[in-house]
Amino acid sequence: MGKKRKQSDTQTAEPTKKDEGAPERPKRTLLGWKDKEEVEEQTESNPDSSSLVFRNKEKVMVTCSRRINYRYRHLMLNMVSLLPHCKKDNKVESKSSKGATLNELIELRGCSSCLFFECRKHQDLYLWMVKCPSGPSVKFLVNAVHTMEELKLTGNHLKGSRPLLTFSGNFEKDAHWKLLKEMIVQIFGTPKEHRKSKPYHDHVFVFSIVDDHIWFRNYQISVPHNESDKMVRGGLDKMTLVEVGPRFCLNPIKIFGGSFGGPTLYENPFYVSPNQIRALEKRQKAGKYAKKVKAKTRRKMHELSNPLEPDEFADMWRE
Amino acid sequence: MGLPSKKAILLTENSEEDDNVMDDLTEEESESGSESEEEDVKLAEPSKNSIYNRDGLIEKLQDISWPENVEWMHKLSFDIDQEKEVDVNDDLARELAFYTQALEGTRLAFEKFQSMGLPFLRPPDYYAEMVKTDAHMHKVKGRLLARKRQIEEAEERRKAREAKRIAKEVQAEKLKERAKLKKQEIESVKKWRKHRQQSGFPAGGKDSELDLGFEDGKAFERSGKKRPGVSPGDRSGGKAKQGGGKGKNGKNREFRNSKFGFGGRKGLRKQNTAETTNDLRGFNKGSVAGNKKSRR
Repeated sequence: MGKKRKQSDTQTAEPTKKDEGAPERPKRTLLGWKDKEEVEEQTESNPDSSSLVFRNKEKVMVTCSRRINYRYRHLMLNMVSLLPHCKKDNKVESKSSKGATLNELIELRGCSSCLFFECRKHQDLYLWMVKCPSGPSVKFLVNAVHTMEELKLTGNHLKGSRPLLTFSGNFEKDAHWKLLKEMIVQIFGTPKEHRKSKPYHDHVFVFSIVDDHIWFRNYQISVPHNESDKMVRGGLDKMTLVEVGPRFCLNPIKIFGGSFGGPTLYENPFYVSPNQIRALEKRQKAGKYAKKVKAKTRRKMHELSNPLEPDEFADMWRE
Repeated sequence: MGLPSKKAILLTENSEEDDNVMDDLTEEESESGSESEEEDVKLAEPSKNSIYNRDGLIEKLQDISWPENVEWMHKLSFDIDQEKEVDVNDDLARELAFYTQALEGTRLAFEKFQSMGLPFLRPPDYYAEMVKTDAHMHKVKGRLLARKRQIEEAEERRKAREAKRIAKEVQAEKLKERAKLKKQEIESVKKWRKHRQQSGFPAGGKDSELDLGFEDGKAFERSGKKRPGVSPGDRSGGKAKQGGGKGKNGKNREFRNSKFGFGGRKGLRKQNTAETTNDLRGFNKGSVAGNKKSRR
């Protein structure tokens, strides 16, 4: 329980955390040879150097709803393998009170954010992206899912190396995109010097907004280089990317103020739930039949109302 | 991937199809009253009552965002501008846009790493766990190889077909040439005879006999009177048949004759023997009529 309280403290009361963090930072960096100048800077301007003591302690809890189907479960497992700073948890019953349960769970696991894969009707996948104690939560509809297991995705990379994140320019276009970008940076970026992360950078995430959806891709970076891990001359031009997967496409539905609830800050004006789409399709099919029946009855009524005149030559050849 | 677009097309088609149905639908929709109206995967126009709390969003953003002057090393993120709008339904263009975005970002990042003097490339002797297992990568490799082999085989088949076609053409050419030569020779002989007669040689004796022998020769008969494949009672002289694919029909007939009778006992020949059951040459080779016969 003590651990849990500490976590919530770091989240809510940031200034105190920074004060605590400040003294221990120089020790840590003096070991490293690469940012010596930084340390000097820090000692010069100690009081207001809040960014220099910044330490990313993000932990993401990844879980899913019960009765998730295999494809989406595999997607979740792919995400687990991509994010070394995540903790996987048991399946959660997806009912109306799941928000409270999940909040509690996240707190128990000492995480600061959560990815919750919610599967409905064995076919629709919703993804909750949540900053835990107080932060916003976003609900996405996920479609166009391809998992990493698919054989056409031929790339491979180190498990736990820190990904490069690239965003398309239109993330700066609107407030809600900006918020989403910040959340994605925090959740999908592996914290620097995380103990499970590996050095070197050999894969890159793509987040791109096309058609008001966020498309996710993961590429392996392959650069020709020799033994001394220095790039060959002109290596940057020869760089190629191979897709590793998974692929998916996120359609934001709503952004809430709290975690798993709270006031709605944003609502996608173009969103139609897949249930409605299916219902519409079904109804149109039903409409086809109803139309046929209607036409038939109309014809019958028409025939009844104007009967054929008796043919005067009908029994002419009957003799 | 293609899913939304397909649905969209489907729905738009349907909406054009019958407005009566649509009216019913919208009525029902308003009864259920969840959202304004629907006709597409994406609503054509934004619904009026959707919430957009810009201030709240910005506030939240400030709440959660890291301090302003966080080092880039913590974020590792880049914004890449897309030059132009990407069409969602064009798979290739879309993927290319993503690829170029990733490539651009990586290039920028690597330049930054290089200028900071940080190691960023994995040395070849650094072995560690990968996201995909070796078994999986083996499968991937197998698939690639299989694909390659398939392509090669198809290419080979195509070449063989081409070669066969050319050979056929060449053969036809040769036959024509031969027929022409023959005709020419006969013509020349005829001419020579006429010339001889005119120039006063007697049309009798040894020479005439010799000539008669020539005339009875098979080549003359064939080209003159009797046509091949014409039955004696046929008044049209075989012309009636000649229009529609006579050759093929004849072949078929021949094959059937060989199979169903017309000459000797076939019963034993139609049964499988050890050799024929073990012989798999006939399979997967396209339909070669009468290969059963050739196999014997």
